[in-house]
Amino acid sequence: MITRRQAFLGTGGVAVALAAVSAAALTLGAAPLTLSEVVSVLLGREAPELAATVVLGLRLPRILLAAVAGAGLTVAGVAFQALTRNPLADPAVLGVASGAAFGAVVGQLAGLEGSLLAAFGLSAVAFAGALVAAAAVYLIAAVGGRLPIQTLLLAGVITGLFFSAAITLIISLVDLARLGGILHWLMGSLGTLGYRPVGVMALGCAVGTGAVYAQARALNLLALGEESALQLGVEAERVKRVIFVAASLLTGVVVAHTGPIGFVGLIVPHAVRLAVGSDNRLLIPVAAGAGATFLVFADTLARVAVRPAELPVGVITAFCGAPFFVYLLRTRFRRGLA
Amino acid sequence: MSPEPLLAVRGVDFGYGGAFRLEDVSFEVERAEVFAVIGPNSSGKTTLIRLLTKVHEPQRGEIRLGGIALGRLSRRALARQVAVVPQELTLAFPLTVEELALMGRHPHAEGRFFEGPEDLARAWEAMALAGVLDLGQQPLDTLSGGERQRAVLARALAQEPRLLLLDEPTSHLDLRHQREIVGLLRRLNRERALTVVLVSHDLNLAGEVADRLLLLAGGRVVRIGSSDEVLEEGLLEEVYGCPVRVEKSPASGRPVVMIRWPDADEGR
Amino acid sequence: MSGRRVAVPARPTRVVSLAPSLTEIVYALGAGERLVGVTEYCDYPKEATAKPKVGGIYTPNFEAILTLRPDLALATTEGNREEHVRGLAALGIPVYVVRPVDFATVLQSIERVGRLLGRQGEAAALAGSMRQEAEAIARAVEGVRRPRVLYVLWGNPLIVPGRDTLITDLIRRAGGESVTRDEPLAYPRFSVEEAMARQPERIVLAQHGEASVDERLREWQHLRLLPAVRQGRIHPIDGNLMHRPGPRILEGLRTLARLLHPEVPW
Repeated sequence: MITRRQAFLGTGGVAVALAAVSAAALTLGAAPLTLSEVVSVLLGREAPELAATVVLGLRLPRILLAAVAGAGLTVAGVAFQALTRNPLADPAVLGVASGAAFGAVVGQLAGLEGSLLAAFGLSAVAFAGALVAAAAVYLIAAVGGRLPIQTLLLAGVITGLFFSAAITLIISLVDLARLGGILHWLMGSLGTLGYRPVGVMALGCAVGTGAVYAQARALNLLALGEESALQLGVEAERVKRVIFVAASLLTGVVVAHTGPIGFVGLIVPHAVRLAVGSDNRLLIPVAAGAGATFLVFADTLARVAVRPAELPVGVITAFCGAPFFVYLLRTRFRRGLA
Repeated sequence: MSPEPLLAVRGVDFGYGGAFRLEDVSFEVERAEVFAVIGPNSSGKTTLIRLLTKVHEPQRGEIRLGGIALGRLSRRALARQVAVVPQELTLAFPLTVEELALMGRHPHAEGRFFEGPEDLARAWEAMALAGVLDLGQQPLDTLSGGERQRAVLARALAQEPRLLLLDEPTSHLDLRHQREIVGLLRRLNRERALTVVLVSHDLNLAGEVADRLLLLAGGRVVRIGSSDEVLEEGLLEEVYGCPVRVEKSPASGRPVVMIRWPDADEGR
Repeated sequence: MSGRRVAVPARPTRVVSLAPSLTEIVYALGAGERLVGVTEYCDYPKEATAKPKVGGIYTPNFEAILTLRPDLALATTEGNREEHVRGLAALGIPVYVVRPVDFATVLQSIERVGRLLGRQGEAAALAGSMRQEAEAIARAVEGVRRPRVLYVLWGNPLIVPGRDTLITDLIRRAGGESVTRDEPLAYPRFSVEEAMARQPERIVLAQHGEASVDERLREWQHLRLLPAVRQGRIHPIDGNLMHRPGPRILEGLRTLARLLHPEVPW
């Protein structure tokens, strides 16, 4: 049984971890800042202008963006896994991230860049793309109201490929000069320029996470199967709709700014489940914090590993995620879940 | 005995859109009764359970629980009165016995996001009744078929229902566990006046345990009555398309149905 | 991106170049020592490769740029991303953006950078001499029949220059007629069949630093029906001379003109 106290403690613990990793991340980067300079900036003391600009103008917004994106993608992963009753579901596997990326590419080419309004607009278009993709997966995979693992994964792959092809089509028609930029974006990029995208993303993620968390208890029961959940008093159809939209919102609002980053929504929920169990009332906040921490870590690695060049953060998450996934496959899934 | 039946099904029609339909199903279940629904496969038995728990809604006719139409009860309100022990437990994620039992508290926990100490106490009570209290922290996938069945029963009992619906409660159990479940059900029925509706393809179990039986075939009610009235040789042969022999059990006096096995020459 | 108002210091001494063409321009103006940072792809002149690197054209590293404390950054619409220009400006670095889409605007960008760096004289001289020679070339090929040219930016898939590109302008000035000059997109992916159907008389292959010219020439040899192939008129050319909007486009123009019109007494 999960108590309110446990939920608070778990959330608090993971928040501390996030703060610690973020603090470390603030001290790392291409600019040669000393630790004391960074500390001075953070404490509001006298510090060289370069340090202040780099820490407050570059690193801090980027770390915030990574944290929010990591949390958002992870909660989307938890939500999709609960919705589909399938531990292999996440925005990337289900093709929802590709749908969001498609929306975002269209939005970018239509000029949605720069202003606050444009940031909202870009998120909205990406959200729409995510919804369409999620709906497509559901329609393709649903067999008599259930979503069997095989058809779900296939539907996700197909939808993802379809939207990737659509993106390819668009970029093949685009000016060569813009092409490079979009290709880099498609590899996943947290290179933020200011706090504006952070604000928009944080708002979207807060709304999405709130909506998902409110259904946490119902999601626990949904794990027993839709019929059983209905028989225990859960309005399953309504819950499914809310989760569907919320998870698409989370995916859309993150991918709109960072491009598609894979493995976060897949791996982090599983790792956290191993530690705290599957009760969503504890899992969701802890996984969100863990996802935030993971992406801050991955992005920091992406920034410093080959400085001054940068690796796409999606590469780091894949290199971390894939081996862990293989490990999961060989240990837990062998025992045959659902 | 209270004048109004606990469960009243009147003129219910339902179909999924294919050829099969439930047609004009009507019956009543009295309080504290043990009522069995039997019939060949695909006669609509599981569909009936779904209709009784508002998973589907009848396309015609009405179902009333304690005099109130199901359409007027919220899902939660219904779940506070009716609990289901399904045939199989499918789990997407690992759960312990205690966590499963606590899920049965959901209908009572309106407005509570986290379970309280009372929920835990009731869950433990249910687990004790079902005989799985000492397995509380065990993950379900490490239990035997019988233990898992009792864990699901604990969940149902945690709902504190008036009516318990069981879908093929003994189909995966060995002899000893079958006997245990029957004893448990009888005790619950007698000591707590729990009304039990059980769906089973095991005619002898149904005949032995039930006060009344309903024989369902091809989506229609063929006969309702006592085990002697329903488990009648001619009727069973007609409905099941299989030669049988019905005799009285020397132990309990209830009818026992035996298949008349074919020899090598049959069907030439 | 270009056409914004930018406040630039009177005499910038710490300049960051965000594209190879701009690096070349700065060096050509004799202000190379004022460059404090260049991209990884700035490979000309040789001295540029020794300068500190600030990342790629699509992926500039802001921290590296900031660390160099530049008082001016140079960017181009032909390559740099608008969000990076905005981001640098938001961090307090003046960014001057040039828009070199044809020969004339390349000269213009040279003059403008010259003005920014206080090297107007050198810029005027350089632009002037480039203009002069371009005019001379134009006179030399005036009235001469323009051969049909297929310019191959990339072989597989076939990518060609379309309307409103620097390369197309250079081909025209060199006395040729690009068979893809009316294509609506700037650098479309083109059908090889269609390219053949337009019967180019010369095929110019852009080399982007890779070694095997012979192999590429061999790729086209099987298309014997093309007059260009039959007559052996497949010519490699250093892509940077045609595609990088800097001072060396004159060399590209010169080379191309001699390729297309060997009959003219250069």
